[in-house]
Amino acid sequence: AEPWPENAALYQQLKEDQILLSDNAASLAVQAFLQMCNLPVRVVCRANAEYMSPSGKVPFIHVGNQVVSELGPIVQFVKAKGHSLSDGLDEVQKAEMKAYMELVNNMLLTAELYLQWCDDVTVEEITHPRYGSPYPWPLNRILSYQKQWEIRRKMKAIGWAGKSLEQVLEDVDQCCQALSQRLGTQPYFFNKQPTELDALVFGHLFTILTTQLITDELSEKVKNYGNLTAFCRRIEQQYFEGHDKDSSATASARYAKRSLLR
Amino acid sequence: MSSDQNPQKQEPAPGSETQAYAKFAGAPLTVNTINNSWSTPKADVPVLISEDIVISQPAKILNFLRKQRYNADYELSAKQGADTLAYIALLEEKLLPALLHTFWVEAENYCSVTKPWFASRIPFPLSLYLPGKMSREALNRILLTRGGPPLYSLTEVEAQIYRDAKECLNLLSKRLGTSQFFFGNTPTTLDAFVFGFLAPVYKVCFPRVQLQEHLKQLTNLCRFCDDILTCYFKLTVTGHSPSGQDTADANLQKLTQLVNKESNLIEKMDDNLRKSPQHPPRKITTLKLAAGGEESSPLNRLSP
Repeated sequence: AEPWPENAALYQQLKEDQILLSDNAASLAVQAFLQMCNLPVRVVCRANAEYMSPSGKVPFIHVGNQVVSELGPIVQFVKAKGHSLSDGLDEVQKAEMKAYMELVNNMLLTAELYLQWCDDVTVEEITHPRYGSPYPWPLNRILSYQKQWEIRRKMKAIGWAGKSLEQVLEDVDQCCQALSQRLGTQPYFFNKQPTELDALVFGHLFTILTTQLITDELSEKVKNYGNLTAFCRRIEQQYFEGHDKDSSATASARYAKRSLLR
Repeated sequence: MSSDQNPQKQEPAPGSETQAYAKFAGAPLTVNTINNSWSTPKADVPVLISEDIVISQPAKILNFLRKQRYNADYELSAKQGADTLAYIALLEEKLLPALLHTFWVEAENYCSVTKPWFASRIPFPLSLYLPGKMSREALNRILLTRGGPPLYSLTEVEAQIYRDAKECLNLLSKRLGTSQFFFGNTPTTLDAFVFGFLAPVYKVCFPRVQLQEHLKQLTNLCRFCDDILTCYFKLTVTGHSPSGQDTADANLQKLTQLVNKESNLIEKMDDNLRKSPQHPPRKITTLKLAAGGEESSPLNRLSP
């Protein structure tokens, strides 16, 4: 297999104005994973990142002449190049790791999507303005509505459309409780060494903690669990500090809602 | 408490896991088989009715039972409780699409097993409409959750979901190892969920059985299902319907009989199908693993 090139790039949407909560979480997870593997990658922000991606989802990485999107396939790709974080785990631990990653995707990611696209206030004040910001009217509205319709269809198919915001927040709480209980007092989920699960959890939790939404209810749910916030801080310090000023981790902390001029 | 449920496990996930959990926790549960899916709120089965409270969806029903102190997870540690949630998420994400596909989307299975079985139990004219609706919803769910690029055709999506399901079964098998249940010697919520997902795949005789064949190679999972079926859902020889039993402590007996009847239905289904008129064999090209079958699947799918 070819070695990891110096000019590997990770593509996501524009940090300041365009990227949404769920995409930011996904992108941060991949960045954390690559940092943990010690593989350098530079973050490139493009308004059309979603359309460039082979699967339609961000982030995607451009390595050599290959393009791979989403954390799962990226982990496989990196493994094929000879780098892996989960080789030291036994079979049962690997099964557990995969199960917890599905838990995060099933509950946390879906809750983020729900909040972004199905909660009317958030949609109106944050999502629509951000999602269409690089484009002129009426394209910005059309693209936002199209995406919203797509996400709502999916929510309906999996049974989340009928949920209220309180129920969604309760699910987030349940998920955080499970993660907190699993983490316990260990530094990482599988004790001494971080794995892709740590990267994924970090991506989502850090983004939730540092993103300013209409209310603080979502981040409060995570803050209830001290070991989770300590976990995020630990990974941030170890893998993200000391890098250039506009790394995604710190930039997302400056994410502000746009309706301040009301 | 009574639980309404369609009389056969045509819904792979719900129903069986609720009953299994109730059995594990010792909750007195009367299983009522209903003939009309529309009588439950939003056509959602299973439904738990306790006094005045109506609850649908398995996870909520289990929460309710727990609050009523029928708790099969009492002995679990916090970490094991968290593991339960994670494995249930794994089942829903990786195994459920393939289950839905096997029961409701795979044309030969649907036409020769699921639809006649289901339709024979619900009254006309619902029997004409409801199976088709469930089939369409299943396909919709699969395509919306798993069908994006780079998978562009139905056959590619199908291949992917079966790959994922087989991997999920392997993971479950590794996790179970040689223990009797997932957390030691007593069954818990996770066992109920896994049983609810696996038992239909294991027991129902389909024409197209790739998932069942894979499952049968994982002997510890088969042993797990068999153990639960024999210990908690005792199979009896005759399944006569209980005549009105109104004595206060006949609940458990009624429960056992009704549940036996349900289990017997699985065994008897084969007989019923052999006696009922068979559909003529259809030449549906998607069912053969030939290349270039992308367009044929939706075209050849029968509408009910």
